[in-house]
Order: sequence, then structure tokens, then C-alpha cells
Amino acid sequence: MRTCRPILGLAVALGVLLVGATPAAAPEVHLSITKGFGEKVIVAVPLFHGSAGSASTRDMRSVLSDDLRNSGYFSVVENLAFVDETEADDRRAGRVAFAEWLALGGEVLVKGDVAVSGQELTLEAQVYDLGQGRSIFARRYVGQPAQWRAAVHQLADDIVQHLTGEQGIARSKIAFVSNVTGTKEIYTMDYDGENIRRITKDGLAAMFPAWFSDNSTIAYTRYRGNGQEAVAVNVGSGVIRRLTTFPGLNAFVSASPKGNELVMTLSRDGNPEIYRLRSDGSEPRRLTYGPSTESSPCWSPDGRRVAFVSDRSGAPQIYVMSAAGGAEERMTYQGSYNTSPSWSPKGDLIAYTARVEGVFQVCTVDVETNDVVRLTTGGGNKEDPSWAPDGRHVVYSVRSQRKSDLYMLDIYDLVPGRLTSGAGDHISPAWSH
Amino acid sequence: MQRISRFLPVVLLLIGALVVFGGCAKKPVAEPTAEPTTDTDALRGDDLALTEQPDETIYVEPGSGVFEDIHFEFDQYRIASSDEPILQRIARWLKENEDVRVLIEGHCDERGTNEYNMALGEQRALAARRYMVGIGVAAERLSTISYGEEQPLDSASTEEAWSKNRRDHFTVSE
Repeated sequence: MRTCRPILGLAVALGVLLVGATPAAAPEVHLSITKGFGEKVIVAVPLFHGSAGSASTRDMRSVLSDDLRNSGYFSVVENLAFVDETEADDRRAGRVAFAEWLALGGEVLVKGDVAVSGQELTLEAQVYDLGQGRSIFARRYVGQPAQWRAAVHQLADDIVQHLTGEQGIARSKIAFVSNVTGTKEIYTMDYDGENIRRITKDGLAAMFPAWFSDNSTIAYTRYRGNGQEAVAVNVGSGVIRRLTTFPGLNAFVSASPKGNELVMTLSRDGNPEIYRLRSDGSEPRRLTYGPSTESSPCWSPDGRRVAFVSDRSGAPQIYVMSAAGGAEERMTYQGSYNTSPSWSPKGDLIAYTARVEGVFQVCTVDVETNDVVRLTTGGGNKEDPSWAPDGRHVVYSVRSQRKSDLYMLDIYDLVPGRLTSGAGDHISPAWSH
Repeated sequence: MQRISRFLPVVLLLIGALVVFGGCAKKPVAEPTAEPTTDTDALRGDDLALTEQPDETIYVEPGSGVFEDIHFEFDQYRIASSDEPILQRIARWLKENEDVRVLIEGHCDERGTNEYNMALGEQRALAARRYMVGIGVAAERLSTISYGEEQPLDSASTEEAWSKNRRDHFTVSE
């Protein structure tokens, strides 16, 4: 059975090991560097010492620098000639010249030693608080040489965690749909657009991918015979299990934060309604009633509520209800076409697609105040926003010149970064948890 | 496609006949009151020699799946009264062909969001199903599927293409 062929490699990519930790400590927020809103911590990233085998230390630095910038919390000292000269001086003298690094404008310094031995790549990182003149943490990362990106991403997330207390996004993945083979299939990529992997090969027009909470499995909808079915594919093994095959819609699966339940749209009772099911697709319980279209449900991060789309007012708008059904509350009042809600992992905002002057844009609505903020501008329809695990970044698709690609932005600076290019459309992004 | 185009003059003629005989368009009833006429003059010369066949099988060859599409306004799923005769004809045909089912495909134009169009397409298919159930077709003989905006008939970005694409398409499923 072709659909069950294991996808090799992904499990390995996720399996970069964290071996040593000196000074050993549970991640603890480093509080000596405090910044105001929007201010960035400046990091100096000298070239890693040693050899990374087939990977270049320049590429490793570049990935780490991008990760730190992309986190939203950091800027990177740009004058690399001075940075590398200062690093060479440090190496020669066998010390860290804190004053010189400070003079370059750095507040944090990341040094790395990298070595490849056989099928093992080792990256040892030292992270310093330059103002305090002391180490913040040191860690060793070991993995396969081909997985060097995963090692660097882990280091970036550790830096974010230590300095901000927030979860980084460098190790996160984005699932999406591409039609590059001629049929819509599910793919995943690293959060920065690298490392694209095809996950499904069933040729059955895959749609609406959504991660389960442990990031092992992606639910999606596909066509089979004269019907739709909702299925779940394990991204490591490629094994597909069926969730629902009811008459009509079997769409928009959203897995609960605990992973033991789903909400989705079914039309088996004659109208598109929202149902809550066990995570294997069994025991559907209907949550909405009425003649209007109820669609696109997604869980709140605490699992207590569900956001969804309804056209009960005559046009699609975003609503929220209790995850047990009832207590329905309208969230959006601006415009006449608001769809595709995605609830921030921080719980405060729901991102969605809004039609603004004839163009689809990504907006957020504050769950408490119903205040709307528009995140995107310009031409090209933007659709299907999905939150990063940090509750700060959003990925979405942009259609321009009859082709769709994925972009991400930081909701605090609103500068879009393009993630995909090349042939085919890239749509329906879903950021992992 | 070829088959559709060969049938088209006949179908259009009979729609005309249904509209003229009207009466049933507004209120769905169990037995459509408009009786198609057998206009043998108009059919003479047709290369399919359909004049010999009973009325109801003129427009739809059992198993051929040749039913007309019905169409919708932007972002709507209300059945247009002008499309009701099409649904009545399918309903009548289903009554006379008891061993078959009809699959109703709901489609949208490209202007909505992918996600919402999937729900809207289903509503369009369900609207036709509700109508036909209302005039006596057993619900289990009508299945629905939404293709959202996945399968446009015309991929141009024009009003004409969009209105063609906002449709229900009917096929005989078994």
C-alpha cells in the first residue's frame, strides 16, 4: 500500500540529542538583560570554530543569526569582519574579551565549537552575558551531520528560552498543501522554509492539514470515491489512519490541546455543523444547531472554547462558543466576510482572514475586547493564518500572479518574510505546536 | 461534453416548455404539475432520433449523468426559481429509475476563501438535496460532495467564468 510507506528521515531530523549541559541547570530566565517593548537584544555571533564536515560553519552562523532575528527578540551584530577578528583574538589569548565585545555593540555573545566524527556532529555552544561578564549557559548538541540545521535551531531556541522565558520557534515545522506534483499533497518544512518533505503520496487531493498536539501526526481531508474522508498521517512513519467518512463534509479537523479530542465540520445531519469527537474520529457529538453554515472550528489553547465561522448573520463571521456547545458569542463585526480562525497559543487573539476592500487580509481580533488589528496590507489575497507556538508569529498564504506562496510575519513588526518559492501553489499552512 | 452539446437544444426547448407551463416553480409539490410536451416537430432532424422515446427519457439517458447544472449568486446557496424545473426533472427521473442514486456536487467560484468555499459548496449541494427531498425524493438517494473552488469549469477570472463556476453538478452515482 503506497500510502503507508514510511517517510524516512523526519524522525531523525527531530531527534537531535541534547547531551551535556554545563553549567547544568533547568532552563531559567536570564533577567539581567531587560528590554522595553520592541527593543531587541543585540547578539554577536562569531564564526563557529572547527569543521562541520559537509555543512559550512558559515551556513551554521547564518542559520543561527536568522533564527535569532526571526524570533523577534534579537538583532545581530552586523560587522562580521570585526566580530571574527575579535573572536580570533579571543582564541589566541584563550579568554573572552568582554570589553571588546561590548565595544562592538553586543549584549550577548554566542560562541560555538563544531566537530564531525564519523556519523556524529557535535556542536558545543557557550552563551555569555557581556554586560555581566559571565556565562549564561553552555550546551553540547549531538546529531547526524546532515541534521546540522536541527542542532543550530535547538541552540537558537535555548537562547530564546534562557533570555526571554518564551518558547522559541526555530525547531517548529509548518505543514502545508502543494500541488507541485499535479495533485494536492501534504508537505512539511522547517519554520524558515528549509527542509521541505513530502508527507503524503496518495494522489487524493489533500486539504486542510492540522497538527495533533504532540506534532507526530497531521490530520487532513481528502477525496475518496464520491466522498470526502478525514484522515491522520503520522509524519514519521507515513502511516495513515481514517478518522471520519461520513456523507458530505469531513473537513477542518482541529485537535484539542490535550490531543484526545477533535472538533471538525460534518454535514451528515443535513447541514454543515460543528462536532466534537474522540481523537480516533469516533463518538461524534454535535455542538451547533440551526440552518446556517457552521464551519472551520479551532480550539482555544485551554481547550475550553472553540472558535468557528458562521453565516447566521447573513455573511461569514467569527464566533466563539464553549467546547461543550452553547455560550456562542460573535467576535467580528467589521466587514462582510471573515473566515479561517486560528486561536493564538497565548489565548488572547484569534487570527483570521478578512475581506477588506475586495482583498483578503490577515487580521486579529482580541477575544476579550473584540478589537481588530489588521496584520497585512497590499494586493494579493492572504488566506489561512496559523499561529506559531510563540503566539507572536503567523504564517499565511498569499496569492499573487496566479500563484500562491507562504509568508510569515511577527505581529509586533508586521514585516512579511517569504517562506516558499518555486513551482506550484503552497497553501493551507499549519504551524506545529 | 459532446453528449451534452447534442442534448442541449432539446433540453433548452423543454426548459422553455416547463417555464411556460409554470405553476410548480414557486411551491415544491410532490407531483410536479408541469407536463413536458412532446414536440416532435422541433425534434425532427435530430441525429439521435429521440422522437421515438417516452417524454421523460428524452432529456436524460439513464446512467448517462447528463443533467443540467444549477447556478448560484455570489456567496449564496439559495435555489433560483428558474432552476427549480431542473431539480423537478431530476426528481421525476429518480422516481422512474428506482435503482439509481444521484450525487450532487457543489462548486464555488474562486473569490471566496478556500476554506469557506468548501463549506459553501456543501451548502449548495445540500440546498438542491433539500429541495428534491421536499418534492418527494428519498434523502438516501441523494448524496452530496463539496469541491469548493477546486474544480472550476472556467478558470478565467471574469464575471462570466465565476457565474459558470458557482454551480451544482449532478451525476448518477450507481
